[in-house]
Amino acid sequence: MKRTIAILLRNPLSLLGVILVAIVVLSALFADFITPFPEHRGAVVDFANFNKAPEWPYIFGTDLVGRDLFSRIVYAYRISLILGAVVLAVAVPIGVTVGLVAGYLGGWTEYVLMRITDVFLSIPPLVLAMSIMGVLEPTLLNDMLAVTAMWWPWYTRLVYNLTRAEKEEGYVLAAEVIGASKLHVIFREILPNCVPAVITKMTLDLGFVIIIASSLSFLGLGVQPPTPDLGSMVADGARYLPDSWWLTVFPGLAILVAVFGFNLVGDALREILGAEQ
Amino acid sequence: MSPVVRLLTKRLGTSLIVLVGVSMLIFAIARVIPGDPARIALGPNATPEQVENLRLALHLDRNIAVQYGYFIADLARGDLGVSLYTNRPVTTDIAQFLPATLELIIVAGIMMIGIGLPLGIVSARYRGRAADNLVRLVSLLGVSAPSFVWAVILMLLFAFFLPLFPIAGRISDSYTIAPVTGFLLVDTLVAGNFRAFSNAAWHIVLPAFALALSGIGQAARLTRANMVETYDKPFIEMARSYGFADRRIANRFAFRPSLIPSLTIIGLDFAAMLGNAFLVEAVFAWPGLSRYGVAVILRKDLNAIVGTVLIISATFLIMNIIVDLLIAFINPRIRYSQRPA
Amino acid sequence: MKRITTTMAAAAVTATALSVIDPAAALAGGVLRLDEVAVGELDPGKASDYADSILMFNVYDTLVLPKQGGPGHVSHLAESWESEGNSYTFKLRSDVKFQSGNPMTAEDVVFSLDRMKALGAGLSYLFAGVENAEALDEHTVRFNLKQPYAPFVASLVRLPIVDKKTVMANLGDGDGEMKDWGQAYLSANGAGTGAYKVTAHNPQEETVMEKNAGYFLGVADAAPDTVRLRYGLEAATVRTLIAQGEHDISSQWLPPEVIKALAAGGAQLLTESGTGAFYVKMNTTKAPMDDVHCRLAFSLAFDYEAAVKMIAVTDDISQGSAATGAIPVGMFGANSPDQILKRDLDAAKAHLAECKYKPEDFTLELSWIAEVPLEERFALLMQANFAELGVKSEIKKLPWALFAEQVSKPENTPHISQLFVNAVTGDPDTLLYGQYHSTTAGTWQSPEYLNDAEVDQYLEAGRTAADDAGRQAAYAALNKRLMEIAASVYGYDRQSVFAASNRVKVPAMSDPSKAFGLDGMGFSFRLMEMTE
Repeated sequence: MKRTIAILLRNPLSLLGVILVAIVVLSALFADFITPFPEHRGAVVDFANFNKAPEWPYIFGTDLVGRDLFSRIVYAYRISLILGAVVLAVAVPIGVTVGLVAGYLGGWTEYVLMRITDVFLSIPPLVLAMSIMGVLEPTLLNDMLAVTAMWWPWYTRLVYNLTRAEKEEGYVLAAEVIGASKLHVIFREILPNCVPAVITKMTLDLGFVIIIASSLSFLGLGVQPPTPDLGSMVADGARYLPDSWWLTVFPGLAILVAVFGFNLVGDALREILGAEQ
Repeated sequence: MSPVVRLLTKRLGTSLIVLVGVSMLIFAIARVIPGDPARIALGPNATPEQVENLRLALHLDRNIAVQYGYFIADLARGDLGVSLYTNRPVTTDIAQFLPATLELIIVAGIMMIGIGLPLGIVSARYRGRAADNLVRLVSLLGVSAPSFVWAVILMLLFAFFLPLFPIAGRISDSYTIAPVTGFLLVDTLVAGNFRAFSNAAWHIVLPAFALALSGIGQAARLTRANMVETYDKPFIEMARSYGFADRRIANRFAFRPSLIPSLTIIGLDFAAMLGNAFLVEAVFAWPGLSRYGVAVILRKDLNAIVGTVLIISATFLIMNIIVDLLIAFINPRIRYSQRPA
Repeated sequence: MKRITTTMAAAAVTATALSVIDPAAALAGGVLRLDEVAVGELDPGKASDYADSILMFNVYDTLVLPKQGGPGHVSHLAESWESEGNSYTFKLRSDVKFQSGNPMTAEDVVFSLDRMKALGAGLSYLFAGVENAEALDEHTVRFNLKQPYAPFVASLVRLPIVDKKTVMANLGDGDGEMKDWGQAYLSANGAGTGAYKVTAHNPQEETVMEKNAGYFLGVADAAPDTVRLRYGLEAATVRTLIAQGEHDISSQWLPPEVIKALAAGGAQLLTESGTGAFYVKMNTTKAPMDDVHCRLAFSLAFDYEAAVKMIAVTDDISQGSAATGAIPVGMFGANSPDQILKRDLDAAKAHLAECKYKPEDFTLELSWIAEVPLEERFALLMQANFAELGVKSEIKKLPWALFAEQVSKPENTPHISQLFVNAVTGDPDTLLYGQYHSTTAGTWQSPEYLNDAEVDQYLEAGRTAADDAGRQAAYAALNKRLMEIAASVYGYDRQSVFAASNRVKVPAMSDPSKAFGLDGMGFSFRLMEMTE
């Protein structure tokens, strides 16, 4: 663990990742203290200061009803992080288990599980989430539900392919020969070999969940105002390009910074985990 | 029957089953929509009788299994119903918009593979060196933002501030191209109009690149990761000790096995692109299926939602079969395997 | 890769075979390019939105036209008309030909009314009180009304005359003698006498029209040869296209900031005004909106000044002006322009104290129409305004189609809906009857579900009064009553502002003496002039 951290901090790229993630997470945690206008996360209007280009004290400018964009972006991070964590915590265990079971057991189990997975995978993720959000009320909880529903099959497919390749490997055959139980083979022999790929994907995915959730709100199917949300900020601001560029550029960059941070860290983690095996 | 033909038959069969599953899933989603679709469709000034008539015509009074039966019967005749939003057959609407979206996605897909794979190979070969770090940085940036952010940034930079590219649409107003395939890049060539072709190509660059960016990053990252893993395998060591050139090792021994997981993910990325096209088309006013899709989902247009999602899924399945076949060609283990794929 | 391309090409060939639309021939020069929100409904019997109206006013003609620069109507397809009791007789011009070449006759007028009433779509409700129309001879037609209806002649600007022969030759599948009444045909083709012919139409994307050389009034050379009306362009796209000289007239739905930026870049501004207003509708069947004191409290808490500031485009031109009451300035019954509504927080608090509901017991649902982003800002404004009264609220975004569906039931209708309502014929009856009469409750215009005997009485008086003085009195009384019971928050009097390139001159939307006083009529392309 100590070694992992040491390696993380030694490489300039992963160090950058750690710093970005720290900034994003800490600012989301302490939003109340670091934002100049915490009340601007809600329904505040200040028509004396609306649509202002960046200037002190509005370092990212103000939106069309006069709220500080910087404050709103920081609060939007909070929402995104909660959403990302919840979605992955639910989707990954489901997806990995289904993939392992289908890949190892084969036969009818494989057929049925993989066809169900295929059904979900055959609808482009965003389209599936959109269809679900089209039915549900646009709230944070339903957002999580829609994104989770589209997320698990990706892990199933990945782990399934890995499992099918792994089960032909000598070590699995060896375990089978000495009479290990199926559960043992699946979770103690094959699963550890899938972990690097799953972790790579998860760390990448923490960013991707933020991307998908913001895409949903970009299309108007996410959380509703006045709740700050990066995707809807970009969508709303895009109407005012190029004159009021700050309305889209800063929320867009905010997504980029957060996802980039998670990706850098994820990338580095995978290198380390892969190397340690 | 050669194993590949057998695989193909099998994949087509399963794809059909999956499509039936998709139709059930999406049909169920579309029918639990709250509110009265007939009322929504007829608009603000309709009388109760008209609403009731439409409800009967849509079989909304029957249970969902019966409704699904009607739907399948119509589908068998190639009839996806009438869009309640445009008042035209859903098939007409889709036929109108699908080529534009496919064109965008195919160009983006070519960019993704054509740029992403080489970047990944270079990165793996010069692992740990400056070129590797640069590629990793760029590809990470690529995957680190949703395509609508890239679309907005590219548009702001290269259409607004530096007006190098057009801001919207598929082709300038001044060109008239007879539709043959619906793909402007093809139709302009068929018409022998090279100016129109370059105009259309000029229009597609920014949207396709915005759409491809995350795929490029993804493809580069995966190719690199898999190649690095393969480089550590004994057979590469062996090749090295036999004195094969680095380039040969990279291209022949490391690249091929690394392609399998990459292609699997790239296949899925294609699906993501079909969805992400929704975002890019919105920004660039690209007259494709996606804008239609967003509109019908927002308006809860039953027939059109089911039809659009079904067609998108069918498109995706076809692409996926192609990817699977490619994998089969590359990996002899799967090529000759008799297992259900 | 080869495999992919062949499969795709095959799919695409099948796809285009199904497609019915051909791209139009674009002419060099004299092309007018404009945009509107989707969908462009070409069937004149179903026209209701702004885009539909633009199509209708150019592809079809009506018996009368609003008089330019003042009240009243002038003959158009009709030569003259007279009324006697509840019947109106029109003498038609004999020199008018449809675009098909068929002559326009009284039969066509009768057919157009029958078709409108049979479809029951669009603005057909305007003719609910018309018993029938009869062709007295080839060029004379009589309309018989069920009861007196003062704005009947005004409503005729919404009765486009359709080519009966062409429609009958193109009936689609349907039950009964008239089958589909030509709906399939008319949703893709024009069959009018209008100055412009449809050469390509895709309701989602674009309609292309060309000058009709055989137009009965002739069309000036300076008028655009080709018109491309595109649907659903993004604001940022329109903004850049106009700045780059690749677009001519924007829709009125651009946010004020974008119009401002375009004006600063040299674009001209076109306006249409006097027929509508921004209404914040309160659902009077739901607590706390069923208590007049609560409604008055919200009306008084609304920041009218901020609202008007929000929609200002330049120092002189704004998307609206301060409201004086329920009826926009310039119409029968309007208050004088200096009696503008003002925010009064103390009075609002006093009313709230008298309301039988306490602020802590309810949460207001503030809806806004997804297609009109400006409304989100009004929602936020109201949320902040009402918060000062201690009232909590939630903002809800509704796409138009869903909104129209939800308001059909009072319990599904949000507490607050924001609407831009305008008089579809230019007459106050078509602005107010649909909004406030108890029999019309539950349409998109009337999410108040207002049921007030006094209001009903004034509305009836307004449409049956024998002369203008009588109508003026009825609408003045109505205005006063609507203010007392605060059925809506009367936000501001609306003016539509369009940004336009300098390639085109549009007298009907820039010179008050040429204005029609009817939304959409300013887009009569034959009256525009291309300057290049």
